[in-house]
Amino acid sequence: MAAQLTLQAPQSLPPNELRDHLERLWNTGLEGSRGAATFTLVIYEASWLQQQLIRTGLLDGPINGLLDRNLIERAKAAVSSCGLPLSTAVMDQRLAWALGQRPGDHRADDLRGQFVDGAISVHMPRRLITLAPTLDPARSLETLVAAFCPLVDEGIAAAQACGDAVVLRGGLGVLQQNLALLDPLIEPGLPCWVWWNSSLDEAPELLEALALAGRRLVVDSSLGAPRRCIDLLVARIQSGQAVSDLNWMRLRTWRESLAMVFDPPSRRDALEHVVQLDIDVEGDHPLMGVLLAAWIADRLGWHLVSSFAVDGDGVGTGVGAEFERTDGTTVQFRLMPVPVGVPRIHPGAMVGLRLICEAPQGAPLCVILCSESGGCMRLEAGGMASMELLEEVVPVPDESEEMELARLLSGGHDTTNPLLAAAAPIAARLLPA
Amino acid sequence: MTAVLTNPLRVGLRQERVISPQCLVIFGASGDLTHRKLIPALFELFRQRRLPSEFAVLGCARRPWSDTDFRNRMAEAMAAEIAEHRSAWEQFAACLYYEPVDLQDPPTVVRLGERLDLIDRQRATRGNRTFYLSVSPAFYGSGCRALAAAGLLADPARSRVVIEKPFGTDYASAQALNKVVQACAQENQIFRIDHYLGKETVQNILVLRFANTIFEPIWNRNYIANVQITAAETVGVEERAGYYETSGALRDMVQNHLTQILALTAMEPPGRFDPESMRNEKAKVLQAARLANPEEPWKCCVRGQYGPGGSAERPIAGYRQEPGVNPQSTTETYVATKLFINNWRWQGVPFYIRTGKRLPKRLSEVVLTFREAPVHLFDAAGGAPTPNQLILRIQPDEGADIRFEVKAPGSGMRSRPVDMAFSYDESFGEPSDEGYVRLLADAMLGDPTLYTRSDEVEAAWRLYTPLIELMEESPEQVPVQTYEARTWGPAAADNLLAEDGLAWRRP
Repeated sequence: MAAQLTLQAPQSLPPNELRDHLERLWNTGLEGSRGAATFTLVIYEASWLQQQLIRTGLLDGPINGLLDRNLIERAKAAVSSCGLPLSTAVMDQRLAWALGQRPGDHRADDLRGQFVDGAISVHMPRRLITLAPTLDPARSLETLVAAFCPLVDEGIAAAQACGDAVVLRGGLGVLQQNLALLDPLIEPGLPCWVWWNSSLDEAPELLEALALAGRRLVVDSSLGAPRRCIDLLVARIQSGQAVSDLNWMRLRTWRESLAMVFDPPSRRDALEHVVQLDIDVEGDHPLMGVLLAAWIADRLGWHLVSSFAVDGDGVGTGVGAEFERTDGTTVQFRLMPVPVGVPRIHPGAMVGLRLICEAPQGAPLCVILCSESGGCMRLEAGGMASMELLEEVVPVPDESEEMELARLLSGGHDTTNPLLAAAAPIAARLLPA
Repeated sequence: MTAVLTNPLRVGLRQERVISPQCLVIFGASGDLTHRKLIPALFELFRQRRLPSEFAVLGCARRPWSDTDFRNRMAEAMAAEIAEHRSAWEQFAACLYYEPVDLQDPPTVVRLGERLDLIDRQRATRGNRTFYLSVSPAFYGSGCRALAAAGLLADPARSRVVIEKPFGTDYASAQALNKVVQACAQENQIFRIDHYLGKETVQNILVLRFANTIFEPIWNRNYIANVQITAAETVGVEERAGYYETSGALRDMVQNHLTQILALTAMEPPGRFDPESMRNEKAKVLQAARLANPEEPWKCCVRGQYGPGGSAERPIAGYRQEPGVNPQSTTETYVATKLFINNWRWQGVPFYIRTGKRLPKRLSEVVLTFREAPVHLFDAAGGAPTPNQLILRIQPDEGADIRFEVKAPGSGMRSRPVDMAFSYDESFGEPSDEGYVRLLADAMLGDPTLYTRSDEVEAAWRLYTPLIELMEESPEQVPVQTYEARTWGPAAADNLLAEDGLAWRRP
């Protein structure tokens, strides 16, 4: 869905006039329009990669915070020119860091917060607040305000209501110092979503300050050190906060594909006789694979006995574990990083999954799910001649972050997905210390 | 449906939409539908955790019951279901309330408004209300007026009204009723229910057609020779004689359920899956549908009524011998009719629709019969090759079959038909929700996709107007022919197809 510009040209205001201006906007400036009584969406939009690509002249502006096709292509090209391994994902923070070491002083308009993705605007947010940190840490604070209305298609117009967009832009430290501006802008009677659209390693104090209890937090656990990501997820979930993880959401097609394999009643029994689970992931970020394994373990009632690091054949470090089934039988688990020539956008994307079930009667069943972009030769190798083989290709959804977020908003979910809530603590224990 | 283990990997994967805090108000709460369908459906939604915690059901009827009376009566009627889920029921029952209301008596409706305000405070339902009119059709219009007069439909974003079938008894009365309800509420607040549309397999017609590329290119007059839509019941009139005597099979089944299936089978692909796009296409195809002989409807319609049948050991009473039925009744319990759809896709393709009570099997299905191969190269085991058929089984044994010719084993080159079958049971192994579960959830979500719009209802009535007028003005021209209970209807129904060189599928 195409991004939309705001209805008005954004107006730059002194920070202390923000609130009054917003009140005036609805009372006079947009007479006849209805302000949506929906939700506030606060986005931490660092866009370091886009900013660095533009600064180094590898990408034309403007800075808009959108992960579009052009940006992805330029970033992929930059992976090799920066001397990073080919399996480095576009959103791997090492890429932005490496670009940051290169010279360049190209500039472009910064339009972050002024584009409202169509997928999000159809949900009519009452207020979009964007925190846009700049590469220059000393840059002073700018505050911008604009109104927007969804560009709705015929047939939906009856429900149209408008919202406003507020942008706080400046150096990271400056943003942190001016956070007090934010709270009065969040409508107290409406739900508030906070989307941390950056690595979970950066600015922990800012994250703490934004993601207060009662606000619905959206993070991406593929961005940041795996241990930090999973610990943060677990802590937030256990505190009772509604947390959504885009990395978990991207596993949807894997969960659905695996469930589909066992939908026919004739295959249900095999689930009680799993003896081995293998997962391959791209590169050295294991969290997506670990979350999938934790979901399977939770759903099948396995108990985690031990977990340990395993050698990843030079690609990185894998994860090994032993689970115990409800009947006491051991289930072996291995997660291995595999090299890929054309990495996906996010670190640690799933490549393949193998589940081996040994029922007392009949031939063992071997289920292999392969990513359509990766293949899974390693999982297909060795020892399956005597097994009943069942292979499926898992589609890779071509959806933007904004589409994923829009799906969350449309659901209106005010609690953590119970499957994630159950899987995250297992994943935290599964990930070797 | 065979009882099977739940797929543990399937649990929780469905992405359900979240219902807003809400009070569902059921008028006719002392009636059958409430304890047979509505409360069980709500309880199912509750057990699936699809109802918000800020939720209440307010039963309304003229009887002077208390909240406790209402809870007890629902519990009594659902004893078997509750036995397995006792603690869930205790929690669910706490959100059941009752208020004596007579929609013809304004002071009680005003009192209803006050009670709803109180429930809003007690249950935090935030003024969101869905009014379900499960009352006699005679009170649909006045019920809406009473709600509107009390200001209960004033906020289109927070109130909606669900109206049970039948919506009118003919084209004129449906038009009149539409005018009344549209004067009380906006069209997007009005949810005209047809529970057939809540069936998973009816919705699957859309998915099968529009999520696959292999069907749509041949889903037209160039490839399809005819379409048969059947809804057969083994039961008789049961306890519904009072209603059925004034309705008959045409109004009870054909004008609504079977015509909705017709619309889904024949409609053009919508641009997207949203309420208005869907309902636009359904309305368009119904507006293009005609009886095969609108000027002489007796030539394309057959009416029947079941007579006695069964065996000496287990005799079955005829319709006229059923309790509550006029012994001279001319109400039809069987209808077969032939339709055409005058548009580019379907011009010249006959659609045969039949429904009846006391037929040999309980089933609903859509059968699309394809045109014959232009040249018969091979001998067919059955004398002539069987045309390809796509059979969509709506109930029971939900699924789909494709029938096609293959080489019969042996040294010759003889063909014979085989079936390639898809079964919901074998593929998914889990029962699908009752139609009311889906439809109640949709109404509370404010999603009217599976509800019929005013123009659809009117088009569906207009389609059968020549037949209804004939039945009322010259019933002797479409006589009610007796058929033996547990047979496939009167012989005239077979003749309807035989004239076209066809036969009903014997399922």
